[in-house]
Amino acid sequence: MPCEQPYVEALGTKKTMGKIVNDFVINVATANGTGSQSSNLIILHSMFEMGIPVSGKNLFPSNISGLPTWFIIRVSDEGYQAPGDSTNIQVLMNKDTWMKDLEGLEPGTIVVYNEDVKLPVEREDCVMLGMPMTKMARKINPKLGRLIANMYYVGAVAHLLGIDEDAIGKAVKAQFKGKEKAVELNMQAISEGRSFAEENWEFECQYCVESREKNPDSFLIEGNEAIALGSIYGGISMLSWYPITPSSSLAESIIGWLPELRSDGDGGSTCAVIQAEDELAAAGMVLGAGWAGGRGMTCTSGPGISLMSEFIGLFYFSEVPGVIWDVNRVGPSTGLPTRTQQGDLSMLYEASHGDTQHIVLIPGTVDECFEFGWRAFDYAERFQTMVFGFNDLDLGMNRWVTSGFKYPDGPMDRGKVIRSQEELDSIANYGRYRDVDGDGIAYRTLPGSGLDPILYRGTGHDEDGIYSEDPQVYHDAMARLKRKIDGAREHLPEPVIREEENKELGVIFYGSMENSIVEIDDMLEESGLSVSTCRVRALPLHPEVEDFIRRHERTIVLEINRDGQLFGIIRKEFPADLIPKIHSVAYSDGMPPRARVYSDMILEVLREVS
Amino acid sequence: MVRLNVLELEKSEYTGGKSSLCPGCGHDQISNNIIQAAWENGIQPEKIAKMSGIGCSSKTPAYFLGKSHGFNTVHGRMPSVTTGANMVNKDLSFLAVSGDGDTASIGIGQFIHAIRRNLDMVYIVENNGVYGLTKGQYSATVEKGSKKKKGSENQQAPIDLCAMAINLGCSFVARSFSGSKKQLTALIRAAMSHRGMAFIDVISPCVTFANNDESYKSYNYVKANDEVLHILDYIPHFSPLEEVEVPEGEFREVNLFDGSTLRLETVAADHDYTDAVSALSAIHQSEKAGSHVTGLLYYDDDVPTATDTLGLSETPLVDLSEELLRPSEDSLEKVNSRFRS
Repeated sequence: MPCEQPYVEALGTKKTMGKIVNDFVINVATANGTGSQSSNLIILHSMFEMGIPVSGKNLFPSNISGLPTWFIIRVSDEGYQAPGDSTNIQVLMNKDTWMKDLEGLEPGTIVVYNEDVKLPVEREDCVMLGMPMTKMARKINPKLGRLIANMYYVGAVAHLLGIDEDAIGKAVKAQFKGKEKAVELNMQAISEGRSFAEENWEFECQYCVESREKNPDSFLIEGNEAIALGSIYGGISMLSWYPITPSSSLAESIIGWLPELRSDGDGGSTCAVIQAEDELAAAGMVLGAGWAGGRGMTCTSGPGISLMSEFIGLFYFSEVPGVIWDVNRVGPSTGLPTRTQQGDLSMLYEASHGDTQHIVLIPGTVDECFEFGWRAFDYAERFQTMVFGFNDLDLGMNRWVTSGFKYPDGPMDRGKVIRSQEELDSIANYGRYRDVDGDGIAYRTLPGSGLDPILYRGTGHDEDGIYSEDPQVYHDAMARLKRKIDGAREHLPEPVIREEENKELGVIFYGSMENSIVEIDDMLEESGLSVSTCRVRALPLHPEVEDFIRRHERTIVLEINRDGQLFGIIRKEFPADLIPKIHSVAYSDGMPPRARVYSDMILEVLREVS
Repeated sequence: MVRLNVLELEKSEYTGGKSSLCPGCGHDQISNNIIQAAWENGIQPEKIAKMSGIGCSSKTPAYFLGKSHGFNTVHGRMPSVTTGANMVNKDLSFLAVSGDGDTASIGIGQFIHAIRRNLDMVYIVENNGVYGLTKGQYSATVEKGSKKKKGSENQQAPIDLCAMAINLGCSFVARSFSGSKKQLTALIRAAMSHRGMAFIDVISPCVTFANNDESYKSYNYVKANDEVLHILDYIPHFSPLEEVEVPEGEFREVNLFDGSTLRLETVAADHDYTDAVSALSAIHQSEKAGSHVTGLLYYDDDVPTATDTLGLSETPLVDLSEELLRPSEDSLEKVNSRFRS
């Protein structure tokens, strides 16, 4: 039942004759491995097809089949993408979480449930809408009944909200690309679900969708796939990887695209892929590739970074380029493998024993995932060091909107590599680790070239690369490394600053918090605050971050972890006079950031300090 | 008269820095044999990449082939670094040196997987049964009943790296002794002519911590208990530097990848190097007898290498132009429109 009436703006919500348009949250509770992901993506994509601002979050277990899964769909004309404060429409399919899901609902929630689960539905304060989904599904296909039952709630939701049939059709076709039978079967289930709801439910839903003008260029994509494509356009020549959630899809996506995008024309691949025996080996392979002059990369999550740490120190000290993407999941230890967090940041920045410091690129959107995917190699070769990409499960494994990826704006930066005797001769007193340009970056030669061959090593070495335990030589080498990485600050992606005229409160944040910040900002401004935001996009920190703090009365550093890891870095690196006006707000429970949680915490901190 | 190799290079072009190992260390003899083998084979020094892990043996790449790039990596992780370098530049000749601690303990996983991939490299383990740099602790290759200079007799069974390599399908497996100059040089030369993983376990006495007669890896013990499988002659594919003696009696010839030949003259019972079971049996028998079987234990020229199986571009990836490494702008538009449809 589409809403044909024009909408008018009321306070807070947009209403069409008492209806709430494009502003609600759907929560779908299913069991893992029942095919519900397809159903959820069809709902998501059909609304996207109608031009409605929509986002989806898959909260899945560390399990292949059986454990509970929730999918949260947020529809918001305001562009809010956080999970939302409460659920407006609950779909109940999973008997294991049935009672708890039901108990947690706020009065007035619309509950679409599978009658065949045969569990109590005693919530008189909610709108209970049952459908014998499994029975109906078995009728059209006895074998696949369990999977197809999920398509009935797609039909039900489509009916309640008034999702276009055309849009549903497109989404189903996209979901089951090329599989005609699957398209037909699933379409039948959806339309039976819709008809059942129309005929049996005497209820007019207060929520509805309304088409918006769709940007014809836009599409939804997971952050991991965007990084994969970025890497391919960045000239990756060796991918080594060891499977780990939530980064495997990044590697698998590269593998999927290589035959089409990276063939040399004679059937040979221009990128080697090795599934390594463990993360240690994966990092070693990246080191070997970078040393030999290639563009090596691996992707992993926190546990993998812990294992790679030894090699990360060798990258830093022997000055070999390489790229490692960390798709952050919840730590410590094995933690919550399928949940999201920004808990690895400080580890990345100073990974490995001894004094180290690494470049960390932090995308906050899928466009930046693509861009930093290719830029990472340029930075690695420019600064002759290991560069981290820092992503998380939320951005990496959920689908976000882009209007298309932009081609790299210049040729590859291969850094200071000497490729001929002439070039070598032009440098007076050449040494592998001698800083002739004053920027801390020395020139290197490649194996096979015969140019100034040296034995690379992780042991102390002088400017010529010769083993040395001399105190001054060690001290000077470490000072140069510090200067080199410090010198990267201004070249790395600058922060994205949205600044208010009244410099009352500045909020510094990074990564996937981007998807909640607009809503947090709006909530804070409701309380009368004037809020500027600064999204950090790289470590070491860009000088503009310090200026941002200086300009504001107070600054909050907002993070999805327990300890305030970026806050710690800021406190360590910035002048002492700034520190008293910087405060940490850090919270992590494994869930994607809910705006209300963080805005309440910010207000609480501000109350405490004022 | 200065002797020159097939590239008209003096042997000094293949030497390295001064060794800092203990005087008389077996490892220095192996370094000399590596220099000899590379020079005699006429390999361009710059086309060699020297790889090592951590330990006394892993220091030695500083003492040979000074005109080759090298990487003294981290403990037990040399194979992975070699793998990455090999992926992007398959034209380099990888010559790796490791020790029994580096390979049989901390690095055993990477050793196994490098063999499994048949990485195109020469992998020499300088095996003395002790950790030298940390002052003489037993390693995992020490024989049961063997005793080092200080401390008690070893009670644990050894890991035999050759047996392990054969079980994993390694395409070239040999054992030698740092004191057997002729045999070892021939084996290193053959290993350099092989395409794929060529593994040589070289018993190399530790003169400081385990050269007492009760140590199974001491000079005296190995000399007295060396069970030589065959006499080896390496015949290079180009005009031989010197007349090669054709042995009388029974011999077999191994045709190597680069056209060179390794001629094996049978000493005692004929050893079938193409049969893994025979090779394992020889190792097992010698272990039982407390001896060291040396020579070419196993050889298989029909194993694809790591780069073969990946279907890589003919040109080493490191030499590809930016046009081949970065897909066109048009292709990105196609990718974008595919997602839009």
